[in-house]
Amino acid sequence: MATPPDDTALMQEFDVFAARAGLDIPADRKDKLFLGFKDLRQMLALIRQPRTAAAEPAGVYSLETITRSV
Amino acid sequence: MTGKPLHDYSITEAGTMLREGKVTSMELTKHALDRIGALDGAINSFILVTAERALSDAETADADFAKGIDKGPMQGIPYALKDIYDTAGIPSTCHSKLRVDVVPEQDCVVEQAFKAQGGVMLGKLATHEFAIGGPSFDLPFPPARNPWNPDHIPGGSSSGSGAAVAAGFVRMAMGSDTGGSIRGPAAYCGTVGLKPTYGLLSRRGIFPLSYTLDHAGPLGWTVEDCAITMDTITSYDPLDPGSANVPKPDYLGALGKGVEGLKIGMPRHWYEKAEGASAETIKAIDDAAQLLAKLGAEVETIELPEYDLFNACGRVIMFSEAFAIHEKDYQTRPLDFGMLTYMRMTLGAFVTAADLTQAMRLRRELAQAVNAKLKSYDAIICASALAPAPRFADMPVGMPANWPIHTMPFNVTGNPAMSIPTGFSASGLPLSMQIAGRAFDEPTVLRIGAAFEAAAQIQTKRPSLELARAAA
Repeated sequence: MATPPDDTALMQEFDVFAARAGLDIPADRKDKLFLGFKDLRQMLALIRQPRTAAAEPAGVYSLETITRSV
Repeated sequence: MTGKPLHDYSITEAGTMLREGKVTSMELTKHALDRIGALDGAINSFILVTAERALSDAETADADFAKGIDKGPMQGIPYALKDIYDTAGIPSTCHSKLRVDVVPEQDCVVEQAFKAQGGVMLGKLATHEFAIGGPSFDLPFPPARNPWNPDHIPGGSSSGSGAAVAAGFVRMAMGSDTGGSIRGPAAYCGTVGLKPTYGLLSRRGIFPLSYTLDHAGPLGWTVEDCAITMDTITSYDPLDPGSANVPKPDYLGALGKGVEGLKIGMPRHWYEKAEGASAETIKAIDDAAQLLAKLGAEVETIELPEYDLFNACGRVIMFSEAFAIHEKDYQTRPLDFGMLTYMRMTLGAFVTAADLTQAMRLRRELAQAVNAKLKSYDAIICASALAPAPRFADMPVGMPANWPIHTMPFNVTGNPAMSIPTGFSASGLPLSMQIAGRAFDEPTVLRIGAAFEAAAQIQTKRPSLELARAAA
């Protein structure tokens, strides 16, 4: 299992994403937003577990089959 | 009229009295306006009270009754709308500085239905900013408070809707639900709150938070109040891309049929050991399950994919879609968003295309798992909230994984889900559970809720004393 990045590396990643999105994050909001970013990263790791055949991309972009699948 | 106050009559009871000439819509409306005037200062459930419009609607309803015109069960009945619903000629602010001057030219589809069927619109209700950022004190309007104890939050984002129904200002108020924004306030305020199947109600004219997770739906004092509302506003809308072209369910027909023979699954692993789950909440759900079993249902513990997967999947999609909607404003006027909105919605900027695709793939897998289970069970019961409403001071800034509202699974899958009161905590705050069902099988969800409600008799209590004390 890969070692999770430290806060310095994460902050660099955070800054790159923010710049790419065209965001100028106010200084007094940056620290709290960074905490949310770390929570988000945990969620992103969680959704990257192995998937089954049900996670077939062909059905992904139809609301009929995503939200009302049988 | 009998001895109870007008706000304690159900929509059906009030409708009967209106049709028998025992009360007028004007009397119902003035009673509601007086009650709001006396008590809402303690809980701020309304952003805008549209008294003039309400009195005009009531006058029209009474004139129609006098002429023998009957447009349906909502005729002459007061209701209110979350302030993300467009209302022609009336501000629709989303509780945000960014939209504080917005006055739509057209009504949303849901409001069109209420108007066409003679409802009486009392006003626009507080919400978390853009249905995500709250409870906040840095917005143009104060946050709604919990009528059972105004030091506690009412839940959100349909915060004013839950507070107004619990306070007895309206029997029913409309909310919206992207991750639990109907069922959360219902749970914390002790009302019923129904998130219908994805696509059953039109969302056209309701400000979006997340296109593929957004649902409109009612919060009512009783299950029947919600069922009547659904019957009034359900219709296929070809101009809402998510709208489902299905026959309108018979919402009212199943009420009163009991639960004999129904099979109900309980995914206890979702909530029994979750961080922050209160023993009172879990016991109340267990007691409710026992009561349903006593009434004839077969209740069994079931296993589903882990709750955290549903939560992560829904959050990633919600943040992404929400940020896409507001991207330009985040680039050009970020400080016009409240702090909490900013902290939550900006997270969408940190999601990659691959992340979103993985979430969408997972979504399909999770929906299939839930629907496969619902082939063997008629419904699922589980927690709506893990504990009673927290104090304002205890709310987190972000949206951490241990979020105390446990409703995201059925936004991810699109299945109908309803929060219903199960009792009260030792501190006097409402407890709740969630009932979910098969896609478009709202009648079974409502049927189970109505059977439990009739047997448990929880809605006999109102927060009137607490409210009056706070307003004094």
